[in-house]
Amino acid sequence: MTVIARRLAGHLARGLVMVLVVTSISFVIIRNIPGDPIAARYEKLIEQGMSPEQAERATAVLYGFMPKGNLWQQYLDYMSGLFRLDLGESLMTPGAQVTDVLFEATKWTVLPVLVGTLLSFLIGIMMGVYAAIKRSGRLGDILAVSGSLLHGIPQYVLALLLGALFTTLIPILPSGGTADIMFEPGFNLGYIGSLIEHAALPVLTYALASYGGWILAMKSSVVTVLGDDFILAAELRGMKRSIVFRYIARNAILPLFTILALSLGLLFGGAIFIERIFNYPGLGLMLIDSITNRDFALMGGAFLLITIAIIVANIVADMLYTVIDPRVRSGEEAGR
Amino acid sequence: MAVSVETSAETPVEPMPESAPKTAPGVRVGGLSVVYKTPAGELPAIAGIDLELRPGTITGVVGESGSGKSTLALSLLNAVQPPGRIAAGSVEIDGLGDVVGLRGEELRKARGRHIGYVFQAAQNSLNPLKTVGKQLLDLGRSHGVSDLRALVREAKELLGRMGLDGARVLDSHQHELSGGMRQRVGIMLALVLNAHLVVLDEPTTALDMITQATILRIIREVHEERGLTTMVITHDLGVVAEVADRLAVMYGGRVVEQGPTHEVLATPRHPYTRGLLGAIPRLVGDIDEARALPGRPPTLGTVPREGCVFRERCALRMDVCETVEPPTVADGPRLVACHAVEAGGAVREESA
Amino acid sequence: MSDMNPAVALPGGARATLRRNFWRGVWRVLKRKPSRMAGAIIVLGFAFMGVFGPLLYPDQLPRDDNALYAPPSWAHPFGTDFEGTDVLALVVTGAQYVLLTGLVTAVITIVLGTGVGLFAGFRRGRWDSVLMRITDMKLTIPGLPLLLVLSTIWKFSSAWEMGLVLGLLGWGGVARAVRSQTLSLRERGFIEAARGLGLSTTHIIGRELLPSMAPFIAMNMLIAVTGAVYAQVGLFFLGVLPFEANNWGVMLNLAVFGGGALTTTAALPYLMAPLLAILLLTLGIVLVVDAMDEIFNPRLREE
Repeated sequence: MTVIARRLAGHLARGLVMVLVVTSISFVIIRNIPGDPIAARYEKLIEQGMSPEQAERATAVLYGFMPKGNLWQQYLDYMSGLFRLDLGESLMTPGAQVTDVLFEATKWTVLPVLVGTLLSFLIGIMMGVYAAIKRSGRLGDILAVSGSLLHGIPQYVLALLLGALFTTLIPILPSGGTADIMFEPGFNLGYIGSLIEHAALPVLTYALASYGGWILAMKSSVVTVLGDDFILAAELRGMKRSIVFRYIARNAILPLFTILALSLGLLFGGAIFIERIFNYPGLGLMLIDSITNRDFALMGGAFLLITIAIIVANIVADMLYTVIDPRVRSGEEAGR
Repeated sequence: MAVSVETSAETPVEPMPESAPKTAPGVRVGGLSVVYKTPAGELPAIAGIDLELRPGTITGVVGESGSGKSTLALSLLNAVQPPGRIAAGSVEIDGLGDVVGLRGEELRKARGRHIGYVFQAAQNSLNPLKTVGKQLLDLGRSHGVSDLRALVREAKELLGRMGLDGARVLDSHQHELSGGMRQRVGIMLALVLNAHLVVLDEPTTALDMITQATILRIIREVHEERGLTTMVITHDLGVVAEVADRLAVMYGGRVVEQGPTHEVLATPRHPYTRGLLGAIPRLVGDIDEARALPGRPPTLGTVPREGCVFRERCALRMDVCETVEPPTVADGPRLVACHAVEAGGAVREESA
Repeated sequence: MSDMNPAVALPGGARATLRRNFWRGVWRVLKRKPSRMAGAIIVLGFAFMGVFGPLLYPDQLPRDDNALYAPPSWAHPFGTDFEGTDVLALVVTGAQYVLLTGLVTAVITIVLGTGVGLFAGFRRGRWDSVLMRITDMKLTIPGLPLLLVLSTIWKFSSAWEMGLVLGLLGWGGVARAVRSQTLSLRERGFIEAARGLGLSTTHIIGRELLPSMAPFIAMNMLIAVTGAVYAQVGLFFLGVLPFEANNWGVMLNLAVFGGGALTTTAALPYLMAPLLAILLLTLGIVLVVDAMDEIFNPRLREE
């Protein structure tokens, strides 16, 4: 147990440093925007007849810190706001808290990413096992090559190709949004059907984009395990094929769980292209919109959230490993 | 070995025929050849081996790496790994018949149940993710053991017999056991199903001296108590001297000399055996007397295609060695394959 | 069979022979599978396009106001864009920016990554752990979001600047890999053996370590080129950067968000042309990497 606790503490410490780094980057960027929009905003509010105090407060709400005084004071204000989970107000949707906007957007990122990734994980590892066992055959070759091609193609190219195919050439799927506006959001058949229809392309893209990676990873993992002594030993002890197969599968899949957790974290950032292309209002689209609209509070918040997702994924991956691999649990170094 | 994706349909396990030998079986290897597929064609790893394991004896098989001794051991279970295959010959085991002809389920059930195989201790022969106990149960289920409690009891007893705390070991993962403990677990798994033919592949390699001695003592004791037929594969003559009743010396995929251990060690006939014994430095005595054989053992690709495989390194080489493979000739209780020995005891005088 | 690199203390003549044999090996590997030859030709073709592409067309590409979004024809194999400019010409002239960025990125990635990795693996100890901590952190910061955020204050206007930024962001993976390679060579007694022969550190790194890692580094370099191409085309496609020069990403952006290629078929050829260019380049590089794998990995070669 202490091993787990120690590892967790280490992760949390590193995660905290990462958060500091990322928020500092946001701060520096907001301070250094060409044309100093903070000052411009402040002056504009004064021109509109606000008192200096009012204007200052209004600006602070938008950027997360007071645009006055010395730089350290501003930085500390910004950071303390963050730790109170107060990220300021969004410029794009006046009056809305950044945290609320982010929460709403996260929902639309998490669901398709999760479904798409799990789908490709399941299919990918099964195909990977097959590709490993038939690795000297023609089919195994085809699986491996298709895997590396899919793995090599960037996500947005895949998304654009799928989009062009299913929304332009054979227009059977909607090209954007989360659901048709004609349906009342809620638990009714029309809305849910429309939701699924709209999520189909993003999910399909996530799935296809990561599928190749799973095939390759699982194939090489299975090939490694097949060469392990204990597999031959199990066969020479006359173990049933189904049991030997379970030995292989469990050992081979182990390192992939870590990758799975990590990739779920990374997909928060990777969702940017897919959400932009299919106009899907998740975190990625939010980040881009905030940049094009110069909504810096929202930008900083989205950037931070994406980073936190990765940190959390790292922790989950490591904890997962600790739970399923007895070697780590008892404090030995992971890996063979 | 390739494992197919489909998990074999659970065929109802018929109760093991009680014909499973309760006594030590004899093993007769006849004309056994194993070839490996390489870019240069199929090359023989072992060629035309004749060897008998008498019931109730321990036979030591000695050879350098590449001599084909491990291939021979795997052949006893018809488990030569691709790209190798048994090209010719038979392995007759009492109560099982010719193992070379066994396929599929028949073969699988013979392994573990009739023939126990013990891996080199340094190899990780246990699933790292499961406790020893769980793997023991997997083994029991694989062989249709109905009384798993009795199996566990038997395992604990065996482990206790070998000086281990059975309950604790069964509860451990591989990484929690030392090399010597792993080796004893390996022996337990080979015996727990009551196999009476046991093959040990380099059982003491990579163990420290004390553990080596313990393992060898255990092998000897268990062998006698349970009435086994045992084959020990090793490169270490000391191991053979310690445990084996009979000794077979392999070189270049052939058994060049075999016979009672003490006789072979005391008066080696084949020039290779003589060289092998000469290469062992003694604690007492002049280090200069320890003389390594000149040259290197052949590998798959460099084994001569015809004639004697040892001639390149042989001090007694004759013209006939170039072209004719020496036949195995009986010399008292001993079998030797050497033209020079056959030609008459010239050996003793010439090698000073 | 020894894992040791044959370059240990070879006399000059032997080295030359080795090089000659190497090129002969390359030729043989390429010849064995026609797909690899195709890969090499594709990559060389793109290189040619990147260097000479802009010279094939006038500085100001001709526009045809009567043929906006024209369908593919003999005159315009991929149709025309919203201004009536030939799409193929856009792809060819746009290649320079894309490939130059890729090259700059790859060079920076490799130099930095190899440097850090070698240093960490060679010195070990405190330097190693500090450098690897930093590398880990760098690998944790989400690259694309960071680029987007950076784009608010930095416009990456030239291919050089773009390459510099991508390179500075991208060296982490190579550093890790080179470090572990160094450590494994070290474990095999490689470095100690060279030390024992009285060779200087520069000599060990420059003449022994680097050459033995060269194939690995070369492969990573090709992969870095593709990564950089994807990243910058993606950035321009997202539309957060000003469109300074003609390049594939700008084309994609205009086709999708300007021409509505995901709703109407008119702009589809405009969309497909740069996509095909990216796919073809990917294919070429995948095939070449496959060939390199076989050239440098003797285990695969022997089958």
